[in-house]
Amino acid sequence: MKKRLGIHWESTSTIVYPVLFGILLFAMWQGGLLNILLGTDTNTLPPPSKINSIISDNTAKILLNLKATVIVALIGLLVGSLAGYGLAIIAAEHKKWGAGGITLAAAFNAVPIVALAPVMNNLTKQLSSDVDFRSMLAKTLVVVIVCIDGMAVNAFRGLTELKPFAADLMKTYAASNFTIFRKLLFPNSVPYIFTALKVSLPASIISALVTEYFSEKVIGVGRQIRENIVTAQFATAWAYIVVSCLLGVVLYVVLLFVEAAVMKNRNRN
Amino acid sequence: MKKMITLLMVCAVSVAAFANGNTESAPAPTPVATTASAPMTNGERIKAAAKEGKVGNWGLGNEYEIQALLTKYGCPTDFLSQDFTMDGFDDDSITLASAMTYNELGLVKNSYEGGYGYGDKVGTIDMNDEGVAMLEDNIFCTTKFAEENPNTVKAFLYASLKGWKTACADPEAAAKIVYEYGSSVSAGHQSYMAKEVKKLAETDTKGNHVTNYGYMDPDAMAQTLKLAQTYIKLDDHSAADKLKALTLDDIRDTSYWKAATDSKDGTDLGKPEKTSVKIQLKWLPQAQFMGYYVALNKGYYKDVGLDVQIIPGGGDIAETTAVYNGTVNFGVTWVSNLISADAADMNLLEVAQIFQRSGLVLVYKK
Repeated sequence: MKKRLGIHWESTSTIVYPVLFGILLFAMWQGGLLNILLGTDTNTLPPPSKINSIISDNTAKILLNLKATVIVALIGLLVGSLAGYGLAIIAAEHKKWGAGGITLAAAFNAVPIVALAPVMNNLTKQLSSDVDFRSMLAKTLVVVIVCIDGMAVNAFRGLTELKPFAADLMKTYAASNFTIFRKLLFPNSVPYIFTALKVSLPASIISALVTEYFSEKVIGVGRQIRENIVTAQFATAWAYIVVSCLLGVVLYVVLLFVEAAVMKNRNRN
Repeated sequence: MKKMITLLMVCAVSVAAFANGNTESAPAPTPVATTASAPMTNGERIKAAAKEGKVGNWGLGNEYEIQALLTKYGCPTDFLSQDFTMDGFDDDSITLASAMTYNELGLVKNSYEGGYGYGDKVGTIDMNDEGVAMLEDNIFCTTKFAEENPNTVKAFLYASLKGWKTACADPEAAAKIVYEYGSSVSAGHQSYMAKEVKKLAETDTKGNHVTNYGYMDPDAMAQTLKLAQTYIKLDDHSAADKLKALTLDDIRDTSYWKAATDSKDGTDLGKPEKTSVKIQLKWLPQAQFMGYYVALNKGYYKDVGLDVQIIPGGGDIAETTAVYNGTVNFGVTWVSNLISADAADMNLLEVAQIFQRSGLVLVYKK
């Protein structure tokens, strides 16, 4: 059992086998075997080389769309997570109805993005006459709603599932509420925050992509996927799909490393 | 294409939650910038709306005529994305909104179920009059299908064109037939739509009366191709090159239409190679496609030995892809959509042009 940056490697096989499988899949895809297996032609499923050439031909345009998507996803994730944590604090203060309240708030997550997006478009029309700003705001609000709930549910557990007598001990020391939060509740909730983020981050990207379908401005990776599929430009649509997958993977890996670094420091203390 | 209120529930929720006054009360007329005696010209209107960034279109391959029009008046070609309702026009976030004469324009003007009831308080800018018309609803299949099943294509065209002829002779009756096949809109809107669609099927881009249904007018086709090559922007390098190289002969074949229209009764076209065929519509079941429903209802397809299934579209169903991958045999699409699919090597072939002129207008409040 080697420990590196807090991530446990059972053995090299946890990395080597998936990588080998990935390489095999890519080889099959590039070689056209995947098309035969799936019964698709190279038009609807172009080889990686073709997708790659489209990405390199249109780097500037792709980055412009990617930027719009990333801003919406990350700001939405940040605001939604903070709001979720705030909700969790309030709920943890009032345990009697807190848990039920969190459950009710979770119902928001059952509203499909497809339905939320037009509602937010109409709402933001009342708030601003600047279309660029308000369409970004409408998209961000959808992401916020998607992200609130995961954080609220997880953080609530992190703030309430304490070590036995820990809270009583703090009371014995006559610690103020703020001190209890700083010394006990917040540190206890950190792992739960990361649990929530690992779910919310992919969700924030997905909801950003989907809400772009309905936005007033034609911009973003998601909107480009839609435009290109409807106009039968599958190779280009795939290029944008690959870009959005990469975005998700890169951000997720960054999150894992941040988590590993934070947890490592905590374990040392 | 387009466009009914598909997100009814959403609309209900959004209107209920954020009722924006306008939906119930008559809107205040937009003040005209010039003096009362001189109404704005189309050019002035377009420039003003473009400057404000309030020209609307659905995008998704429906935007090329609007971009050609904006370019004509020296404006940048970006537009606001319209949803499938006219709420954005109603609440003034879009001042020049895209509308199909047979669909959204009716909803804006009329007061039947789903209508906004503006009556003659709105005016329109017509793509045909502005010289930027691109042809819309056609009948197409793959080149391969046409080559392998020429008799089927001819028989299908014969019966479909007969259906269009019957539908246009009595649009009111045609609307009823469509309505019974499961309409996405109210009966009132359906009958309005049928009358407007008749105009598109029987009038060319210059306003002349057309009697031969499905005729592929070479000038209008050439203009459509030229505008498509100018305004369709493809990121795929090889598709963009192919688009530039496309000629009319790559995208349409008039011989099947000619055989079908020369036929006496549709039974002299040879035995159909494939008797069971499907046609994919571009949008939901509505009078926009009345010719096919009438042909089905009156047994015209059966008369020529075909068993035809009409597949409704809607949402993001790409009819070009459905025909290309063989899910269906025929499709109804806009010529520009067929062109961009052919640029991506889909080898689709237009065999008839149902709408003889563009049905797209920009609508504004007077």
